[in-house]
Amino acid sequence: MENDYYVCTGCALLCDDIGVELEGGKLNKVHTACRKGFAFMKGCTNPMECAVNGERTDIDSAIKEAASILRNAERPLIFGHANSSSGAQKKAIDIARKTNGFIDDTSSFCQGPMVEAIMEGKLKTCTLDDVRHKADVIIYWGADPANSHPRHMSRYSYFPRGKERQRGWEEDRTAITIDVRKSDTAEICGQNGFYQIPVKGDAEFMDAMVSALSGKIPKTSYDLDKKKLLELASILKKAKFGVIFAGLGMVYALDDREPLYKLMDKLNSVSNFHLIPMAGHYNMRGFNENLFEETGYINRVKFSGEEVLHGPEYSVVEALRQKAVDAALVIGADPLSSLPRSVVRYLEEIPLIVIDPCHTLTSVKANVTIPCGLVGVETGGSAVRMDGIEIEVKQIVDTDRLSDEEIMTRISEAL
Amino acid sequence: MGFGQFLSAPETKLRIVTYRDVFQDSAKVASIFGEDYEKLSAVIKLDPQDISKLSIKEGDTLILKNSFGKVIVKALNSGYDHSHTGTAYMVNSPWSNALVPEDSGGTGVPDFKDFEVLASSAKGGKVTGIKEII
Amino acid sequence: MASVMEIYQLLPKTNCKECGKSTCMAFAVDLLSRKVKVGDCPPLVREDKYKANYEKLSGMFTPVDNVTETGLIVHADKCIGCGNCVVACPVNVAADPMGAGSGKAPTCDRIILKVEDGIVKAMNVQECRRFGENKILCVACIDTCPTKAIEFV
Repeated sequence: MENDYYVCTGCALLCDDIGVELEGGKLNKVHTACRKGFAFMKGCTNPMECAVNGERTDIDSAIKEAASILRNAERPLIFGHANSSSGAQKKAIDIARKTNGFIDDTSSFCQGPMVEAIMEGKLKTCTLDDVRHKADVIIYWGADPANSHPRHMSRYSYFPRGKERQRGWEEDRTAITIDVRKSDTAEICGQNGFYQIPVKGDAEFMDAMVSALSGKIPKTSYDLDKKKLLELASILKKAKFGVIFAGLGMVYALDDREPLYKLMDKLNSVSNFHLIPMAGHYNMRGFNENLFEETGYINRVKFSGEEVLHGPEYSVVEALRQKAVDAALVIGADPLSSLPRSVVRYLEEIPLIVIDPCHTLTSVKANVTIPCGLVGVETGGSAVRMDGIEIEVKQIVDTDRLSDEEIMTRISEAL
Repeated sequence: MGFGQFLSAPETKLRIVTYRDVFQDSAKVASIFGEDYEKLSAVIKLDPQDISKLSIKEGDTLILKNSFGKVIVKALNSGYDHSHTGTAYMVNSPWSNALVPEDSGGTGVPDFKDFEVLASSAKGGKVTGIKEII
Repeated sequence: MASVMEIYQLLPKTNCKECGKSTCMAFAVDLLSRKVKVGDCPPLVREDKYKANYEKLSGMFTPVDNVTETGLIVHADKCIGCGNCVVACPVNVAADPMGAGSGKAPTCDRIILKVEDGIVKAMNVQECRRFGENKILCVACIDTCPTKAIEFV
């Protein structure tokens, strides 16, 4: 059996038990990675070229042009980072600092609020390894790992045996899905483990859970099976090690985090509960930690001389809507694909640099495109898993493309 | 095109909830410009009652529009065992993002998973291609 | 999977014997166990009035070329490679408790399910608990599959 394992960068689980077989310097077979991870490692069919204003060029000229765009800008936006190595992220922060730029990542319109609360110590968390070895009650809330993180349940959260969970999932663990629709994950949790709530009904459901946990009759403005909710409360009370996996469904449904804090406080007064945000891209959490280390904020930062500004007005969405930036460098993300069309239209009006292994919707509109190696396959580096654990990523095959970190270093030096 | 094209198609207001799909995500990694990605992305999953209300058949195309954008996607039966009339599901993609409201109320987080559109039959019109969106 | 009655209802029900079987019910039973193919019923293929039923049946019996000798089928087009079946399978757990049985990469080759190129593959299926002299109706891999990609025929 293959014992030389690699890391899959297909999502923020960063599975580090991937076996590969090479043929002619290329990946021939991939063992143990899921469908999504395998697709990611195999790479895209449309690699990006090195180009300036649509004309192919060499890497030196492209880097020079990128540096010149950033130098000439007064308020550039350095955005993306979720699919980019920690080394490249640190250089991106340098570049933003040097250019008095805005810096933000996809967590800004994704898991940011949850990661922030964890880093500020407002939510109790744990690692995925803790979950595997100890968790007996697992809640997927507004999360559908079967589609977003396919190996989540098999590797960590439900099916594997662990040190304190030797008897397996049927006897030792209870999995629960709280969602607005019966997802594939909910199917696995079964009818008894699925709590369907209306769209944006999450905060009320949290309040109702707090009531139920306090022995009061839960109330909601929508129809709710009170008996089932009281049963849920009794399951949660008995939990020895509980964990809530917060998906985007929960994040987007909460106007503020108070109902969640109240629920977590209540849960921890009657039993023992943790929360892990279901970060999607492989190194979103890494960016949050790297920027936090530098500035005390996890995202939405603008540098202004010595000063570090932070707030929703420095988020990628508001910066583009208010046309507050005058150039953009996008690395490890595709805003034209992932943001509302009406918000990103402004990117076409300003000089735009894209660094990515593949053509993206954003790269179609870019003035400068610089191809980098695919992290985890063509280049190495490090990244941070969804639970905050740092994982070293090894290179598998050779490439003549530069790593994302090398490109960012050279742009930073050229400024 | 038959006689139907001269009749006004019934319009229905739908609340859209987006979700993720591993097959669509894998197709995106292979190529966002690929046929597979379009096939798996440019779809809306409806309650069968809404399908009949719109006077279309499963597999027909629908125009979805609001003040932020307009796309044509394929209508499919959601297959959920519970009724969800008035709510429809779209996989997160550039097609759904073409309709996501721009205004985030200053929070920087648009309503990706909850927005309204007006749906009507596209009367055989073709699904919007990715290059038409950007 | 459909029942034999559901399949029978979609056949011509004429007992014409063109397929070589004595009745349409016999054909339905063989179809269910995949001993014959949908296209082996000549009137169903030939006659327009059966077109809708032919398509329905063809949809129910998507061609599978990877039926193992023990009847375990993996529908590769539905499999997401999550590995739930790999870790839930009691044979895998017994053979490789620290690897496949713990949700990690397999460390021995006596397991019966593993994920390769993003899709689950069956091997050593003679070890499966559903087969052999002391067979039991184990459903570990079917119950844990989020997309119903595993089937036994």
